[in-house]
Amino acid sequence: MRNERTVVGRPTPLIDGIEKVRGEARYTEDLPAANALVGRILRSPVAHGRIVAVHTGRARALAGVRAVVTGEDCPHGYGVLPIAMNEFPLARGRVRYRGEPVAAVAAQDAATAAAALELIELEIEELPAYFTAEAARAADAVALHDDRPGNIEREVHHEFGDPAAGFAAADLVREGVYRCAEVAHGQMERNAAHAAFDPERTQLTLWSTTQVPYYVHMMLARTLGLEASRIRVIKPFVGGGFGARVEVLNFELIAALLARAAGGTVRLALSREESFLTHRGRPQTEVRLRLGMARDGRLTACAAEVVQRGGAFAGYGVVTILYAGALLQGLYALPALRYDGWRVYANLPPCGAMRGHGTVDVRFAFESLLDTMAAELGLDPFAVRRANLLAAPTQTMNGLRVESYGLAECLERVERASGWRERRGRLGPGRGLGMACSHYVSGAAKPIHWTGEPHAVVHLRLDFDGGITLLTGAADIGQGSSTVLAQAAAEVLGVHLDRIRVIAADSALTPKDNGSYSSRVTFMVGNASIDAARQLRAKLVAAAAARLGVAETEIEAEAEQFRHVNDGRTLSFAEAAQAALAREAGALTVKGSFTCPVEFQGGGHRGGAVGATMGFSYAAQVVEVAVDEATGAVAVEQVWVAQDCGFAINPLAVEGQIQGAVWMGMGQALGEETRYDEGLAMHASFLDYRVPTIMDSPPVAVQIVESIDPNGPFGAKEASEGALASFPPAFAAAIADAIGLRLDELPVTPDRLTEALAQRKRAERLARSRERAA
Amino acid sequence: MEPLAPFSVVAPTSLAAALAALAEPEARLVAGGTDLMVNLRHGIGAPRTLVDARGVAELRGIAAQGGGLAIGAAVTLAELAEDARVGGRWPALAEAARLVAAPAHRAAATVGGNLCLDTRCTFYNRSAWWRAANGFCLKHRGSVCHVAPTGNRCHAAFSGDLAAPLLAYGATVEIAGPAGARRQPLGALYREDGAAHLTLAAGEIVTSVQLPPQPLPARYAKARARQAIDFPLAGVAVALGMAAGKVAALRVALTGTNASPFLLAGVEALTGAVPDAAWREQLGKLVQKQVTPMRTTLLAAQYRRRAAAALAMRLAAGLAGEA
Repeated sequence: MRNERTVVGRPTPLIDGIEKVRGEARYTEDLPAANALVGRILRSPVAHGRIVAVHTGRARALAGVRAVVTGEDCPHGYGVLPIAMNEFPLARGRVRYRGEPVAAVAAQDAATAAAALELIELEIEELPAYFTAEAARAADAVALHDDRPGNIEREVHHEFGDPAAGFAAADLVREGVYRCAEVAHGQMERNAAHAAFDPERTQLTLWSTTQVPYYVHMMLARTLGLEASRIRVIKPFVGGGFGARVEVLNFELIAALLARAAGGTVRLALSREESFLTHRGRPQTEVRLRLGMARDGRLTACAAEVVQRGGAFAGYGVVTILYAGALLQGLYALPALRYDGWRVYANLPPCGAMRGHGTVDVRFAFESLLDTMAAELGLDPFAVRRANLLAAPTQTMNGLRVESYGLAECLERVERASGWRERRGRLGPGRGLGMACSHYVSGAAKPIHWTGEPHAVVHLRLDFDGGITLLTGAADIGQGSSTVLAQAAAEVLGVHLDRIRVIAADSALTPKDNGSYSSRVTFMVGNASIDAARQLRAKLVAAAAARLGVAETEIEAEAEQFRHVNDGRTLSFAEAAQAALAREAGALTVKGSFTCPVEFQGGGHRGGAVGATMGFSYAAQVVEVAVDEATGAVAVEQVWVAQDCGFAINPLAVEGQIQGAVWMGMGQALGEETRYDEGLAMHASFLDYRVPTIMDSPPVAVQIVESIDPNGPFGAKEASEGALASFPPAFAAAIADAIGLRLDELPVTPDRLTEALAQRKRAERLARSRERAA
Repeated sequence: MEPLAPFSVVAPTSLAAALAALAEPEARLVAGGTDLMVNLRHGIGAPRTLVDARGVAELRGIAAQGGGLAIGAAVTLAELAEDARVGGRWPALAEAARLVAAPAHRAAATVGGNLCLDTRCTFYNRSAWWRAANGFCLKHRGSVCHVAPTGNRCHAAFSGDLAAPLLAYGATVEIAGPAGARRQPLGALYREDGAAHLTLAAGEIVTSVQLPPQPLPARYAKARARQAIDFPLAGVAVALGMAAGKVAALRVALTGTNASPFLLAGVEALTGAVPDAAWREQLGKLVQKQVTPMRTTLLAAQYRRRAAAALAMRLAAGLAGEA
């Protein structure tokens, strides 16, 4: 292979960016709707209740109504995890949260659909409802799901090493309780699905705002009772995901049920409120954390109890509570760990996977306590992290393999860039610096649905025109995955990037892909793309060699030329392609694949597959804040972040993804939170769900660290999630540095901060009066 | 998403034509629509006709008026924020305009719309489905105020920014309607009732705002969770004149905390004094006593009380220091 890289490692504008910038990109709601019926969903006003009856007669009789469906129309449960499929597209027997779909209509226009919803009458016998994990776990609580008494979806109890001995050996043991509000993805594009059913052929085509077209495909087959071959799933342009769309969602199945019932095409576009109600966000989490530390800052033991309020259905819940424990490891050297986790059902919209899945809230707790203890021992926050670095390659106690580890360099970089040593403690009143670290997986090494197939497959197709078509099932949702795959193929083939066109995520054309989640696409599909490109290159080289009458080893292929190394005779790409087509009996398709070796698929303990990956990304960041004690406003002045992404295939996209991750962490730290009043969502708009505005957004200076992972494509690892989790603790640390107050609850809204300050003032006053009395 | 109920739009070019159109049943005035259209999308109100104020000549423009200014109701917040006269002599008003929502809103939203903004409440600014699931509320279609269920009045908060500096500057408003035109102090436009906070009679509209000459030095500030988009959790305007190191004149106006914007009462007791720390504490206490934030926002009511006082104290200190 050539030494000098011409395509990867260069800042490259996204190949699908032009349509977006021009406003020409078609998202699901933009698809031609000429003959489409309008779908609408009737949602439960009740948080928990037994469905006595759903009267749809009057709605069905309304002129212009083409279909009405209820839970009766779909007896098949679904869910992303084979072990926890307890959800129905439309509620059956019971409703479990306010906003759960109960019935749906398809009508000739929006006004008729709205009128039809008004005519459906729900008879629901209310049951006690639980809106906190504590209430749901109470001894006398009614179970939301009959097979889950006590409303515990999953309990996890893991122990590695000897925590008791570790704590006994510690010079300092401290415990803290940290609370993080539930947050939502706030993806820009609202949920929408477009379903076309052909009753003559019994064929369904569904376009949707999904990150996982294959999972959607499987669940459509299951819930509609259709053979998978009769279904086609297409992912058009998607405006963000962040985990909101990594499992099939009820509206996708409802659109298909309506289309089949109506025998036509149905467009189901959810409002922003409905998109929030569909949810799947990061659960409200309480972490009780205990750490043991030696005088030099080395950790001796960790014990964590984590309670997640998961909402009404399973979704990814089991995975989330396992991630929370598993990824306590893999960042620092941790000789002993006790983890107890409880995932709890409650009468709220279901939680799911969200950027930094499972790790963000426990990382907030861990980094915060680490900082607090370091201060107590007189250690600098950087020093305490450096005292606990891993040495790659290594394997953690829970079987996570760490093959590349750039955290030390990340620390160096942000320490220097932020002027930490010179500036900390010298910023003046109300200003402070804080830092923290985080990490994330590059793809879950064990797929949810184990079929024996590879983890990723890419097809490359070459025909008479000399164009190379890259076919992938991986969903580009704005993160730039199609560009990365094209770059990888172009690099290996020695062709210009624009010779590659990517067709992504259409089940009629593209090979199956598990989807865009757990930051798996660059690593897994990227490796498959390289594999495919190597095969195509070999065919081109062989054909060129034959045409020139020389050995294959004498052909050099680069810059779209196939040159004989000795005599300099050269075939153009078009000539080599033509030669290959002649030699290979016509249009060429090659298949590349990638499989994670079994030794990377996690420890043998129950749940040990979660957290296992072929490579971890690592991040460190420094946050500077200015605190206004009077109004409780915290301004984030600047962020310096460094992330080890192995190798930046597209440094431009990597920089953007890291900034996005930092910014999302900032949202969770500053003000994002879901709120419910008796289970009714109070946050379901962008006025009430406060993602930061550009006025709240600081400069985020990104440094890319390249540790060159031995297994990653060109050494690349994850780049889009790892930096998120270190923002909240770095932010809390910066506030502590600024005003001497360490907050253990997220988000740090102005009302929480002023209340904490008022409490501190009261406590000081009390202490003074006690002193005077004494 | 929720469809809008159908309506027709008329675009009169004269005040007389606008008033005539508004005399028709179920007609509503609209200008930028940044408040009204959101409510309509939520099924709050279903007017048959929207009367577009933007083309009405009498509602346009900012004009000098006897040393003061007359600001047409259809002047946009962007125009107001950029006006050199406003920025130069009535900076608190320009500041308030600049702090509303975001640039796209300010390009559309108008002075009249901001003054006549509907009151807001976390139980009211919701979709039709949401409000139905919650049994509606006292302000619209229901009988209970979810903020204070035992009471019998609506606590929705007035959340327009401009009213505070205008009250502090002693502005008047001109109102036109079927019975002719009248001019009144801005404060008389409001009453402390979240369900009926405007004193306008049927068919009446605000046509302009008058800023009197020789304004006191004044500033405006608002507490909110984010630095853009958000309505004021508490908005405070302070006008303060100094003479010989003492406070000679003081006017403090608040918005976002009560069902109506209001001028702080009892500030006379604070004039004639040196604005030291103790004086500021007194001012803060006065504010805390008169604001009545309720559970109408997701951020705590107690915070809005604290923030209102803190901002009043800070603005006063700044103005006293500048003088």
